[in-house]
Amino acid sequence: MKKLVYDIVNKLDLPGITYADVRFTDTDTQSIYFEKGNLKHFGFDLDSQALGIRVLTDGCWGFAGTTILNSNSIDKTIKRAISNAKIGSKFRSDPVAFKKLNAVQDSFLYQPEEDPFQMDDKEKIDYLEKIARKLNGNEQIVYSYVYTELYRQYKIFANTIGTFVDSMIYDSMPMMYVLASNGKESMCRTFPGHMNGRRGGFEIVRQQNMEVQTEEIIEEAIELLSAPRIEEERADIIIGNGHLALQLHESVGHATEADRIFGKEISYAGKTFIKPEMLGNFRYGSDLVNIFSDSTNKAGMGYHIVDDEGTPGTIVDIVKNGILVDQQTSQETAALLGVKPSSNMLASYADDIPLIRMTNFCLSPGTGSLDDLIKSTENGYYIDYTKTWSIDDNRHNFQFTTEIGWKIKDGELKHIVKEPTYFGITPEFWASCDGICGEEEWEFHGTFHCGKGEPGQAMHLSHGVAPARFKNIVCNVKA
Amino acid sequence: MEFQKDLVKICEMYPQLKLNFRYKIWETDFLRFYHGQINYNISKTSISLYTTIYKGKKSCSFSLKGPTKEMLVEKIESVLALIDKLPEDPDFIDLEDDLTKSEEKIKTNNIKKVDLDRKIQILKNVAKTLESYKFKIYGTFICNYRTLIFVNSNGINKREISSPIYLECKAVNQKNEVTVLETYGGERFESFKETEFISNLTEKVKIACNEVIDVNPGEYEVILAPRCIGEYFMYLGSSIHAQSLDSKQSFFEGKVNEKVFLKSITLYDDPKNEKLINFDYNSDGHIYKKLSIIHQGIFKNFFVDNYYGRKLNMLKNGAEGSALVMETGTKNLQEIIKSVKKGLYISSLHYMNFINRKETSITGLTRDGTFLIENGNITKVVNNLRFTENISDIIKGISEIENKAYTIPYSENYGEFGMHSVRMPHVKVTGFKISSSTRTV
Repeated sequence: MKKLVYDIVNKLDLPGITYADVRFTDTDTQSIYFEKGNLKHFGFDLDSQALGIRVLTDGCWGFAGTTILNSNSIDKTIKRAISNAKIGSKFRSDPVAFKKLNAVQDSFLYQPEEDPFQMDDKEKIDYLEKIARKLNGNEQIVYSYVYTELYRQYKIFANTIGTFVDSMIYDSMPMMYVLASNGKESMCRTFPGHMNGRRGGFEIVRQQNMEVQTEEIIEEAIELLSAPRIEEERADIIIGNGHLALQLHESVGHATEADRIFGKEISYAGKTFIKPEMLGNFRYGSDLVNIFSDSTNKAGMGYHIVDDEGTPGTIVDIVKNGILVDQQTSQETAALLGVKPSSNMLASYADDIPLIRMTNFCLSPGTGSLDDLIKSTENGYYIDYTKTWSIDDNRHNFQFTTEIGWKIKDGELKHIVKEPTYFGITPEFWASCDGICGEEEWEFHGTFHCGKGEPGQAMHLSHGVAPARFKNIVCNVKA
Repeated sequence: MEFQKDLVKICEMYPQLKLNFRYKIWETDFLRFYHGQINYNISKTSISLYTTIYKGKKSCSFSLKGPTKEMLVEKIESVLALIDKLPEDPDFIDLEDDLTKSEEKIKTNNIKKVDLDRKIQILKNVAKTLESYKFKIYGTFICNYRTLIFVNSNGINKREISSPIYLECKAVNQKNEVTVLETYGGERFESFKETEFISNLTEKVKIACNEVIDVNPGEYEVILAPRCIGEYFMYLGSSIHAQSLDSKQSFFEGKVNEKVFLKSITLYDDPKNEKLINFDYNSDGHIYKKLSIIHQGIFKNFFVDNYYGRKLNMLKNGAEGSALVMETGTKNLQEIIKSVKKGLYISSLHYMNFINRKETSITGLTRDGTFLIENGNITKVVNNLRFTENISDIIKGISEIENKAYTIPYSENYGEFGMHSVRMPHVKVTGFKISSSTRTV
């Protein structure tokens, strides 16, 4: 396939084509799903190959992609990419322009501890079946599932500048869920929560120790049925890692994607309240808040040698001591903002066009343990495990519900509360952050399902976070 | 089609197995525009086969891209070595066996009919009209062409061809970013009336030029645009699928033939409605016909597919909620607006998510034009608002229904995506709960 990609790039080195890139992906996925203790789905999609060609001609992008990889189809795809750019340029008033990068030639082949695509399928199924059966014995648990998604992608990227990089990655995403009911209402618990994707093979599934957690989530789901709701109008909240990853994702990650500033996502994902003139002076959070985009950390799912337009992986500060200092950018939007490209242009598969996507989008650790943070809280709630998330199309007003919360009184965890629901305005919320735990609590959480773009793409990405406390938050919103 | 015949032959080759095939030839031409110009045009093609193999109650599924008969047989043989080792699904009874066929209609390939040049010309006309208002256009103009083939070991051998068109055009005020939206969706491009489309969008733009204000949280009388009530019904659809009974998440559990809403509420699923994007079959290959869901406030039917129909001992009906139609009422829109002393007009919704699915509690936001109504007139633009509500309470709060319905298309946009549409009127809702303001438009 390397030769095929190389040959296509050479074919695109034509007068009139300012720039072109070619990507090939070969993706393997496997999913295993147990419901109420029974295997409902065991499925795989192996060697799913795709090719994508992006061309810049007359100041306009054109793209074509295909999963049909015979020579006739490839020739058609090349022609469609070029004609899409040429015809499209008739409806383009601001030509796309950016500085040329240096060429990169490199390779990265991730080695998981347990390659799920080399393992015996029966071993994986047996492992998950034991967990599924443990979830299925209690009368008050009316529904349960165990789900695992395993993923491997080989990618070749090449462009007309001379960059040629290939990579192989492995990601895994295990999950279990129980629903308790008393006939009147129902409450759920999941583990390890919705930000459950990680870089690695089947060892990721084992590391979650789901079999040890089954009793706890069953007990908590049942206890939630009779638990109180938060009564205070406002309270201090400590957010656990699993949910804080989503809070960071929605209210900072998406808000600082530069394509939103320029309106490229208005039609679907939305805009952002951030304007170019805010860079360097806008207070996004308290002095404690430091947020960065890091595509160089191999432990996260956002690692790469180059992004999908050839920008080398890098670390970029987004919020420094509470001040907004940069954005996640493409080459095109970086040029418009007058900053360096941040290596955030990615596509899910080769037949998808690259978009500005989060990679490893992280909150820097502060100091102290979670225990220390709870002990220093007089009156509040510790909340975790996302249940509901929603944010407006400017990434300004958000509202989240978690599955469970624990009342904190005089530095100790007390009883649980059901469906804690809090609301905030993004910069006010991050300005209220008065404590972030230290490196000992900092870890990656991630997802396979960050949706963006038209046509839509679901991206794998990670968030490095440590639990953090936010003061005086509206936390008892009810339907 | 040769490969369709191959699939039938392969079913015959393995009488000990139950094979289920969904073969899709799919193509899209996807124009995305912003700031009154093109962002990019994407052409994508894909040929895929999704296969499920049952041996007794044991099953395994796989996908193949660009499949051939040889590839498929090789894959089935490799799965046979594995399938005996898998645990059973005791709930599986049989594959779909509805052999009823829909009359296949000849469908134009709209990718060819509405080519990139034609799309650009239409968008240029829209953009030019809005220039004088200082609004620019953002959105998508999509044409798909899809051939979907269903073959299984129970004798199903069916084909459905579709070629939907979707145009979503947002006009954005370049000064304050107030947005308004106009859409078109359908399979017959003759039904697209460019002048009417531009005129409708222009009227919305004129309203969007008014002063922008904020409103406080609280209960409001609101008029929901057809897109909004359509989305609420689509979300409620998760409680109408039989699967939600099995997962104990249905609001309608135990409520068949019970009065759930006011008598004025009638809703049905109508996949052959000539005003909508049409469907012949559901995802199992079962014939998909008109079905009553709520009749004069009484809940009538769940959407029942093959698996859950057999598992829950319910009559499968092939309905999926992809073509929801709400019965119209008696008053025209102007009369309904006139009846509101102080309230809101909500054009569109954004980022909804259930808090508790069974209770239908949900949160989400308004988008693309929220307006203040004062003394029966739309007077000002309102910042986008958050609602936290039970959908069932919103529908129970419907006090007026417009005497006209509109086709509202939705493009699913992920993977080898499809499109669907609903046919909805405006409705007036009393006691609609606004929980916070976004303070932005």
